[in-house]
Amino acid sequence: MRHHDRQHGSATTPSSQGVRPRNYLVQIAKLADFCFIPFTTLPTIVLSAAVFGVPLLLSLIMSFVAWSIDQPVSEAQFVGLRNYRDLFADRVFVASLWLTLGYTSATVSLEILIGLAIALLLNLDLPFIRIFRTALIVPMMVTPIVAALCWKLLLDPTYGLVDYLIGSPVIWLGDPTLALITVGGVNVWQNAPFVALLILAGLQSVPKEIMEAARIDGATKTALFRHITLPLLSPYLLVAMLLRIIFEFRAFDNVYVMTAGGPANATLVLSIYVYHTSFFSFDLTLASAASWIMLLIVLTVSLLLIAAIRQKEPD
Amino acid sequence: MRSLSHTGYRKGCYYAFVYGALICLLVIFLLPLLWVLGLSLKTREQIFTTPPLFLWWPTMENYFAVLSEGNFLVSFWNSFLVTTSTVLVSLFAGIPAAYTIARFRFPGRKLIFFSLLIMRMLPPIAALLPLYVMFSLVGLNSSRTGLILAYTTFSLPVIVWVTRDFFKSVPRDLEEAAYMDGASRTGAFLKIALPLAKPGITTAAILSLLLAWNDFIFAAILTNNATRTSPVLLSTYAGSETGTDWGAIAASGILVLLPVIVFSLIVQRHLVPGLSSGAINDARIP
Repeated sequence: MRHHDRQHGSATTPSSQGVRPRNYLVQIAKLADFCFIPFTTLPTIVLSAAVFGVPLLLSLIMSFVAWSIDQPVSEAQFVGLRNYRDLFADRVFVASLWLTLGYTSATVSLEILIGLAIALLLNLDLPFIRIFRTALIVPMMVTPIVAALCWKLLLDPTYGLVDYLIGSPVIWLGDPTLALITVGGVNVWQNAPFVALLILAGLQSVPKEIMEAARIDGATKTALFRHITLPLLSPYLLVAMLLRIIFEFRAFDNVYVMTAGGPANATLVLSIYVYHTSFFSFDLTLASAASWIMLLIVLTVSLLLIAAIRQKEPD
Repeated sequence: MRSLSHTGYRKGCYYAFVYGALICLLVIFLLPLLWVLGLSLKTREQIFTTPPLFLWWPTMENYFAVLSEGNFLVSFWNSFLVTTSTVLVSLFAGIPAAYTIARFRFPGRKLIFFSLLIMRMLPPIAALLPLYVMFSLVGLNSSRTGLILAYTTFSLPVIVWVTRDFFKSVPRDLEEAAYMDGASRTGAFLKIALPLAKPGITTAAILSLLLAWNDFIFAAILTNNATRTSPVLLSTYAGSETGTDWGAIAASGILVLLPVIVFSLIVQRHLVPGLSSGAINDARIP
């Protein structure tokens, strides 16, 4: 409020001492200014409440009631935590939960490691390096569905390029253990470039003077990396980790296209589980409970990471 | 002399190693897409040969087939319509809010910002199920309007974050000078802050454009055969066992990618800062 009081004072004082009609205009302007904050924020508030607030509330309510889609809404009955208990009694859900946690941690760590390696390579001051930096933008922006389709063709055991190059017909997507690794690998392929470019931005923000000074003091290359580059880079690494966790945890597109959760539920990540439960079994209450479990996990992890990032950047 | 040629030799090795690694990167990240581009330019017989053909006379027949069949063009038009409307709606709603959040302190400011943060964090499937139920009740299911509304769940937060960042970086002095001259807040916003924040608005628009164009999960659930977007149409190729028409799959995939890739390369300097700025900002919410 402090700022706008000051602005207000300076806006009214000179003109109110002027001619009369001008004073009138100032009154109108004052009214518009009074409504400025509600007017400008209202569309955003209404829109996000309609497409996000109300739906989330609805799914929270649904997760606490017994109701099936062919019943009228009035017959819904409050059942407390029963949906959640049913959920954790469902072996498919528990397996899917562990699978998603494992999938997320494996893909995110790989993306960060590979991204860091690529970023260090792209940070070198070499001729033509810009071409390589630009080229990495391409996989990152490719529509995930198209990327998954492309890889499905490439990994085909009979006519695919990959099996031709390695010289033996590996069934990448039909084998339960291999399928999850393959789907995760395609995701790493698509997203490591983003992590690399983000870390590259961090590397380029490291001041050259500090590096130079440390080098003159006789620091070795590993010491430089460990004691100067890495600490300065850590906020970027954490941001990359935060973003990638949020996006890997919701993995859906490439799994849906490449394996649709199979074979034998080997790639049934939580998003696919919720999708099946809602739109094939039509068990909306169970699916709502499952999505609230997802929400709580993402929220907890993200808030912890955000707290860590904030600590690194005291503003 | 000897030591000089020795360092020259080492330098050569170093360059050979580094450029070797860089070229490996290019192969890993671009070859898969180039190969599919190649598939789209082959005839059916050429696609299904073992060993695969590496040199052939390109044909456009797959593209003609895809474009002459109505489905693809309809889905492409749907994608285009939904994407651009999403961006326009979110810009219209989001920019004024971003400005107000950046410039004024008012009750509920943190709440708005925090809700937008959570909107971006939460898995879409969690919002989709209740949205589907709600849209069924109000008759918005399988409509493009419904999809546009659903897309604002990700595009609105992106727009507000990125533009807020830019409004904050625009110096306040100019607006204060305008207030001195008797300008209203609306006037100062429209005539001074908005033009200065143009680069930020561009970045925000580009990001939400790409996100909406690439989305699959919302469109998969909220559309039908008449309103589906290109990614949904493409996903139907993956499931069907008759989907052995690789030429058509490759050609339509390339047609969907082409605008994205050309566009991304044109606007590349906006992409990485934009995609990450949201997150870096959240960490700084007071």
